[in-house]
Amino acid sequence: MLRTEEILSTIEMLHAEHLDVRAVTLALNLDDCASASVDSLCRKVESKIMAQASRLVETCDRIGVKYGIPVVNKRIAISPAATILAGHGSAAALKLAQTLDKAAAECGVDFVGGFSALVQKGMTRADRLVIESLPEVLSQTWRVCSSINVATRRAGINMDAIAILGQKILDIAEATKESHGFGCAKLVVFSNIPEDSPFMAGAYMGSGEPEATINIGVSGPGVVSSALRRRIAQESNLTLGDLAEEIKITSFRVTRVGELIGREVAKGLGLAFGIVDLSLAPTPTVGDSIGEILKALGIEKIGAPGSTAAIAMLNDAVKKGGLFASSSVGGLSGAFIPVSEDSTLAEAAEKGYLVLEKLEAMTSVCSVGLDMVLIPGDTPATTIAGIIADEMAIGVINDKTTAVRLIPVPGAKPGDRVDFGGLFGASPIMEVRNVGASEQFVNFGGRIPAPLQALRN
Amino acid sequence: MAYQYVLNVMSDDHPGIVAAVSSVIESLGGGINSCSQTVLGGYFTLIMIVTLPEVVAEEQIAEKIQTLGNTNSTSHHLQVLVRQVENHANASPKGPYGKFVITAFGQDQPGIVRRFSEFLAGKDINIVDLFGEVRDGQFVLIGQLEVPDRWDVRMFQADLDEIGQELHFTVRLQHENIFVATNQLRMRIGG
Repeated sequence: MLRTEEILSTIEMLHAEHLDVRAVTLALNLDDCASASVDSLCRKVESKIMAQASRLVETCDRIGVKYGIPVVNKRIAISPAATILAGHGSAAALKLAQTLDKAAAECGVDFVGGFSALVQKGMTRADRLVIESLPEVLSQTWRVCSSINVATRRAGINMDAIAILGQKILDIAEATKESHGFGCAKLVVFSNIPEDSPFMAGAYMGSGEPEATINIGVSGPGVVSSALRRRIAQESNLTLGDLAEEIKITSFRVTRVGELIGREVAKGLGLAFGIVDLSLAPTPTVGDSIGEILKALGIEKIGAPGSTAAIAMLNDAVKKGGLFASSSVGGLSGAFIPVSEDSTLAEAAEKGYLVLEKLEAMTSVCSVGLDMVLIPGDTPATTIAGIIADEMAIGVINDKTTAVRLIPVPGAKPGDRVDFGGLFGASPIMEVRNVGASEQFVNFGGRIPAPLQALRN
Repeated sequence: MAYQYVLNVMSDDHPGIVAAVSSVIESLGGGINSCSQTVLGGYFTLIMIVTLPEVVAEEQIAEKIQTLGNTNSTSHHLQVLVRQVENHANASPKGPYGKFVITAFGQDQPGIVRRFSEFLAGKDINIVDLFGEVRDGQFVLIGQLEVPDRWDVRMFQADLDEIGQELHFTVRLQHENIFVATNQLRMRIGG
């Protein structure tokens, strides 16, 4: 029999502290849809998505009602589009993206990720096709998301790809300037991309995965900050060790919710359960914020000295609690610090407490990188490439995933504010310093060799 | 032969009640199969299933417990009820069912438990555990239920929402697995 206090504490976590299932993502391999004819390719893609994903939304909703916990986003992640676009031309890329967009809409999912290419060591013609098509694809579709992996611990950093992407990001922003460059919010540049992340825009299905699988990501920043504040209010003389323990316990509970819902959805759809991603993913809702957790840990202004140590402790405690809760942990599994999607971080950026360089330092100890960072629209491509290269280096050297999702907002200056609405939130434009001063470095191109850490065998 | 009895003991709370009951069972050569005890508002209540090697009159068992319990205490009076266990004493639904938890929170007012329990009874739903408490003027009701699979949880929740609106209460129905998963080391899937 359950104890009353157990029931009450779960109710508080689920309802008063707004725990929800952030994303149930159906990962789907589309390799067998490859075809010499574009029309045939798109028909197969649509047919496979509809066959596998048409019941996704209904199943998530049914399981959500059973447990009284909403599944906020239902998504699809496909195997890299570059694979099935091999041998095709630029018209095929857009047509495939439009097919994915339409199929996702028909299934009722909000995003489909995996319009992707893995180019850490070089580019195939199909990889280049995917990258070249991005301005058109991300401006002419709504639900399609892209990720490009440009670096790994084993391969090093593909600076040629980064230089191209620096320009493409500007092109995407220009192509979607009516929405303040929103197209860039659907592109993530990665190092060490995870093959099973449920979170958009970076979700794709890697090789070595089954035909179809269910991956799940649970929200929870609000739950963690509430747990910390409650503990601090109840007890005096707490140390950071005690607070880390509190985060660990909360992470255990949050992860269990993900594991339960993910396994039931997978069972309901007759698919394999993949992973639960432990990532604490904030939303613009006040309180549902990583910044609030740092505040609860005593960092008055996010970006102040101590911020990196605090987020390192948070990230570590989340993993420790989550790992005990589930044997299927995967994806990114850390604390996200997407500026526009986290109202407290956005506020810190607005007040000048949080600058780009400090944000970069914080990403070296947490997940996932410079995420949803709005910069001036006139930032040169080489400077954007330099920012990407720095973030990739952090990932490669530390053998972790890092990512960049920059939005150069056309016509905007530092301090201007842009509101994307919904989960994408609002943020000021952050200042980029030393603009143009990395041009020569980027223009050398080539590949930064794999680091010593690559030689582990 | 073994004969099972169910005992129910109520008293104002004080040390020694369980000791008195268990001494009597032991003196009769019996053993305790299961028991559940709680204290509410300073009152003690115990339900216990025991096995005795031979038939003993229900009144005789009750009297022994009362006598010993009252002897061991200064001014307390135990009320004891004993019944021989009947085989059909199982109120669980006949068909398949799921274990759910209903929680209701709202301004305290008369009739809350009646309203919800009548609704549940009308749907053939068995309450296996019930907790209710007034906290700062707010009434908290928690019931652990056996809900026949024939009920669509969405419809059931909609009905509860309607009652909740009428009483200005927040009412939720959730499968127990979510509480197990978030509080216990092992988790259960399905059900």
